[in-house]
Amino acid sequence: MAAPHTPPATRRPGWAMADLVLMVVLGVVFGFAYWALVQAWNGLSILMGPAGDLAQHVLFGGWLLVAPIAVAIIRRPFAGIAAEVIASVVEVVFLGSPVGPTLMIAAAIQGAGSELPFALTRYRRFGWAVFAVAGLLGAGLVFFYSAFRSGWYGQEIFALRLAVQCLSGIVLGGLLAKVVVDALARTGVVDNFAIGRQRDRS
Amino acid sequence: MSGLARAGTGSPLARRNPTVKLALLAVVSLVAMFLLDPVTPTVLYLVGLAAVAFSAGAAPRTLLVAHVPFLLFGLGVLVVNALSRPGVAVWQAGPLRVTEEGLSVGAALAARTLLIGVLAVGFLLSTDGVALMTSLHQNARLGARITYAVLAGYRMLQEMPREWSTIRHAHAVRAGLPGGGRAADGQGDGDGERDRDGAGVDGDDDGRPGRAGTPSVRPPGRAGTPAVHPPRGPRHLVGVVFTLLVVSVRKGERMAQALESRGLGLQPRTTWRPLPVTGQDWALAAGVVLVVAAVIAASAALGTLQGPGALFEPAPRPAG
Repeated sequence: MAAPHTPPATRRPGWAMADLVLMVVLGVVFGFAYWALVQAWNGLSILMGPAGDLAQHVLFGGWLLVAPIAVAIIRRPFAGIAAEVIASVVEVVFLGSPVGPTLMIAAAIQGAGSELPFALTRYRRFGWAVFAVAGLLGAGLVFFYSAFRSGWYGQEIFALRLAVQCLSGIVLGGLLAKVVVDALARTGVVDNFAIGRQRDRS
Repeated sequence: MSGLARAGTGSPLARRNPTVKLALLAVVSLVAMFLLDPVTPTVLYLVGLAAVAFSAGAAPRTLLVAHVPFLLFGLGVLVVNALSRPGVAVWQAGPLRVTEEGLSVGAALAARTLLIGVLAVGFLLSTDGVALMTSLHQNARLGARITYAVLAGYRMLQEMPREWSTIRHAHAVRAGLPGGGRAADGQGDGDGERDRDGAGVDGDDDGRPGRAGTPSVRPPGRAGTPAVHPPRGPRHLVGVVFTLLVVSVRKGERMAQALESRGLGLQPRTTWRPLPVTGQDWALAAGVVLVVAAVIAASAALGTLQGPGALFEPAPRPAG
């Protein structure tokens, strides 16, 4: 899409508009899907009876999905954090969440955890292992913040909570993200983003 | 779900600056994170409930319905904490044991949920989405590109329920075809090559009926009744969510081009319908901060206030 005339040279925007909008779109779709996830969480917690509160850890990885997906498609620093925060803004400001704006802090921590492994590979490696570590860190880092916010410290099931949440992060927030990214790439809708350009080059 | 769509315009709270309201909601939520005795957040909740009921212009029934998720969530938190916290047992049956400390912390967390919940409801009921983004751009210096990207996303969110049902129906139509309506060329992944729209669901550019050669009529569910229910089950749901994602990504790309071609990102910008921060907004902010501070100070003076320490140490026992 070459512009017929040169764009104003005063300021080169760091982010292409398409990348920004893609992050918002991911945030909106996942914000919408997270709402469905909350219903699943409610259902699961009823099914699990007295252990129902652990249901949130079982499904936790689902809330991490958007960050690794955004990073793998856009391949820019802070894409994961931004996408996760935007998704939380959609959840809090437009859909309404009982957790309130402190959810955005959690989202930023989650995004940072998920993005860290990709940043360490300088946004060059997108294999299963990197995704798995992203899910692990995304779930692991935010756990200590959530534990403070929700008063899990001092509970007898603290270690169990951490283990279940990390496992969920690896599977739902890491490996599943890779499945989604690959499926998206196959449809061709992300060909015009960094992920498509990268593939053309190699 | 979409409280903003129904935002009233006449109520006193609706006339306040959206950025100020959002900032106050954030501040109170943050402060509430550090209150871990049951009394202080309960008092704040009751004050907040009264304030929202009077200033947001919401019908009592609306407020009541909005409470349901917070009540359920709060109840869950209360039960888990009562059962899973060490301390002085007040009730025991087999492996289940309710502790005094657990009840106290659980009640504190449940009251916090209600407090943040009722304030969030007040915010949603009194704030228009477009006004919020305009205000964030103007009053909170949010970049124009992000502002308009989010606004475009907000519009997309409003259309999403309709999009969702369109996709479900499209999948339902195809569910009657052999092989679940997937391309019958043995590729296994019909989404990839044949149509690049996920599952060809847009409807506007892929309307070929009965691709696999059979008429696209579902087998009747019961004697003679044409089955019009979309298929259910997790697999179907995953397909719908993925299609929604693909369709939305494509739509987003078009939106980005539209925004750029209309000169978004050029400087300097002007704002249509500017939203000033008025003296009344400052008064609202000062009022909220004063009330919260007064409640906490009173609670501290009366000795009921407890911070995060309540999570780790046994609750103070009354002397004697």
